[in-house]
Amino acid sequence: MLERIRLWVKQRRAGALGSHDPAHLSTPKLAGDQKLSECRLIVLDLETTGFHPGKDHVIAIGAVAITGKVIHLDDQFDLILRRPELDISETVLIHGIGPEALTQGHETEDALLHLLEWMDGDPILAYHSAFDQRFLEKALRQSLGYSQNHTWIDVAELLPAIFPDAKTGGRGLDNWADFFNLEVSERHHAAADALVTAELTLIALNKAQKNGACTLSELSTKLHYYRRLQRMHRF
Amino acid sequence: MMFLREHAPFSSMDDAHLAHFAEHASLRFYADNDIVLSPEEGPVQRFYVVKQGRIRGERHNEKDGKTDTTFEITQGECFPLAALVGERPTRTLHRAAGDTFCLSIEHDAFVTLLSESDPFRDFCLRGVSSLLDQVNRRIQSGAMASIGSSTSLDTPLERYALRNPIVCSPDLPVRKAVARMHENNVGSIVITDDERHPVGIFTLRDLRTMVAEEKGSLDTPVGQVMTKRPICLTSHADAFEAAMLMAEYHFAHLCVVDEEHRLIGVVSERDLFSLQRVDLVNLARTIGTATHLRTLVSLRSEVSRLVDAMLAHGADSGQVVKIITTLNDVTVRRVLELNIKKNDPGVPFTWLTFGSEGRQEQTLLTDQDNGILFETPDGMTEDQAREKLLPFAETVNRELAECGFTLCKGNIMASNPKLCLSGREWDDWFIRFIDASTPQNLVYSSIFLDMRAVFGPNEPLEELYGKVLARIQKNALFQKMLAGNAMNRRPPLTMFRNFRYAPDGKKHTIDLKRQGLAPFVETVRVFALANGVEEANTLERMDRLVAKGAFDPKDANAWKEAYSLIQAIRMRAHQEMLDRGEPLSNYIDPDDLNPLDRRILRESFRQAQRLQQKLEVTYQL
Repeated sequence: MLERIRLWVKQRRAGALGSHDPAHLSTPKLAGDQKLSECRLIVLDLETTGFHPGKDHVIAIGAVAITGKVIHLDDQFDLILRRPELDISETVLIHGIGPEALTQGHETEDALLHLLEWMDGDPILAYHSAFDQRFLEKALRQSLGYSQNHTWIDVAELLPAIFPDAKTGGRGLDNWADFFNLEVSERHHAAADALVTAELTLIALNKAQKNGACTLSELSTKLHYYRRLQRMHRF
Repeated sequence: MMFLREHAPFSSMDDAHLAHFAEHASLRFYADNDIVLSPEEGPVQRFYVVKQGRIRGERHNEKDGKTDTTFEITQGECFPLAALVGERPTRTLHRAAGDTFCLSIEHDAFVTLLSESDPFRDFCLRGVSSLLDQVNRRIQSGAMASIGSSTSLDTPLERYALRNPIVCSPDLPVRKAVARMHENNVGSIVITDDERHPVGIFTLRDLRTMVAEEKGSLDTPVGQVMTKRPICLTSHADAFEAAMLMAEYHFAHLCVVDEEHRLIGVVSERDLFSLQRVDLVNLARTIGTATHLRTLVSLRSEVSRLVDAMLAHGADSGQVVKIITTLNDVTVRRVLELNIKKNDPGVPFTWLTFGSEGRQEQTLLTDQDNGILFETPDGMTEDQAREKLLPFAETVNRELAECGFTLCKGNIMASNPKLCLSGREWDDWFIRFIDASTPQNLVYSSIFLDMRAVFGPNEPLEELYGKVLARIQKNALFQKMLAGNAMNRRPPLTMFRNFRYAPDGKKHTIDLKRQGLAPFVETVRVFALANGVEEANTLERMDRLVAKGAFDPKDANAWKEAYSLIQAIRMRAHQEMLDRGEPLSNYIDPDDLNPLDRRILRESFRQAQRLQQKLEVTYQL
């Protein structure tokens, strides 16, 4: 018993979530020769107080890891940040996190450090990733002074690039989830949205490999061409 | 984990074990046609649950070099059980059918769950069969709740407390026999010969009749007033058989004997149903001795109450339809008897029933389909005999309608002159029916080729049916047309194994009778007629087809089980409609079923597809 308390005190001193040392964090990996059938990818979804990175803040982070085209359910990340001073009336309706849930969250710095450590510098996928990227990078800079850039891949771009003929009736996450008959347990809950995004990613990776894209760089080349084609259509 | 909670075995597992599963699980995706597991991979390393989509089992058929689909695994189902438990490679190639996600855990986590969770272990070791058990148990427990008894009608008679039966010899005076019953506080005494073979039974009811009707003094030897040749069953027979015999013969006691027909014990109606307020025997007796039509009419609501109770006591759907048929038969017989007493037409006849009643597959929702097979008395023409019978039949049809047997819209009733025929006329009728196989005749085949005698001598019908069967067996063209007709009733599954809804009913509903049961009934009939099977009951027909080598025993078992489960779901729906005071219908919305029943229903329909495939192959349709 005494031993347990001592251990607990030690942990508290070192910080609530174990010892995070910013200096020992991995450097973000680039989209190189990592094989899709082996590499680890992070699929992430954020809940925020609103839509403007300038004035709004992150309140919840949900993420799952895909390793070698498999989602390991024990390799997940689901945190609500402690931001009691924030006014969240605007988007509380969308994601359903009320002020009480927020105050029970982890301290922001702890949570973000923990996230960086867990991500281990692996490439990050998100649906409409530009949005998540701006919020996360801003939060990391403000809270931790962290400014390294991760490799980001937009699943909203990946899906139409790999399934150009899919008639989804729209470009939203719900449209694609419906198209593949996926069940979303709790929409607008960061962890649940991250899981659906990850499931869509598995479907896309399976098809991409059959089309001959076996490494991350081949995948990003494919996306690059897709982007150029889209731009040409616009003209 | 809400998803897992909906499916066996997870639905009955502890939270801690469920959490163990979730923590060790991974999620994988397989596109259409991707291989999930193959025999070449060596001993199976993972346990899988289908989260979404389907898995198809493929086995290479050595004979014709084709690939057969041996099974389908759908949402919520687990695989591979036998190979994983046996620590060997799978024997079947598992392939994704459509976009499929599977949750899976590694062998170690599987072993931990296997050793720690009882429901999980039971499930894995018993495999798929436990799924069917669960449905049966659920069907029983739902109705059981109101009664609170766990006695099953499948219980062998030897399990019922068989007191040392009270016996005496035939020469004992009634007075002493009654004294012996009184001393032992029982209601019956069995009269045996020197080798302990039961020769008769004497009950308190017999005593009452004897005294009331002054049949003799109390010094009469009991052998003169006993009921001779009591009904006997061996100790291996189950409670259901006992109850059915009691209902049929209106006896409250029967003797249990060993293989050499020596008395072992006595089972009374009260022994069978002491804890249960089921009074099948009493009800059958009341119907069978009713003296007025209005009594019969009032007893019909009792039949529905009884069905509810029977489901509660663990009778399976096959048993319950037989009970309904038995009670319906008793009612029909009684209506006929009462009418003969009032106004005897004076022409000997056999009362025939067709269709579902002929197959002994009636439920609470039932139509009249009947006819008369008469023997022309000497000195009378067939038309003269018919003239005497028709007004009688009309009264009977009308009175049966009052008892709840709806008048047949197609006028397939004994009062129709075309269906009140002599043996010779019926024979002609069937010759025309078989030779001129018009589309209309083929529709009627489901009615007239399933027939049975309910009242009157059975021999004229046996003679007639023998000829009909012989003719069909020789007529390959008629068989092929019957088979083609049977294929019109497709099981309600789409290509993607979703439910195909009924075109005529309310939106999102399935017609359990026409879409669910009919494919079995129609297909089995073709095989039965082609193989000279005389039975009309679908389950019995399948048993006979196995005995004749036409059906593989394993296939037949799967088909019988599937058929019975659809029937059970249909009957439960009927009881629920009655409870809500709604008119009975065969339409149900599969979304109203729990996930387990939905899966069972889907699998049952798939079995119907397999049965139809056999018909297609046999007749090259």
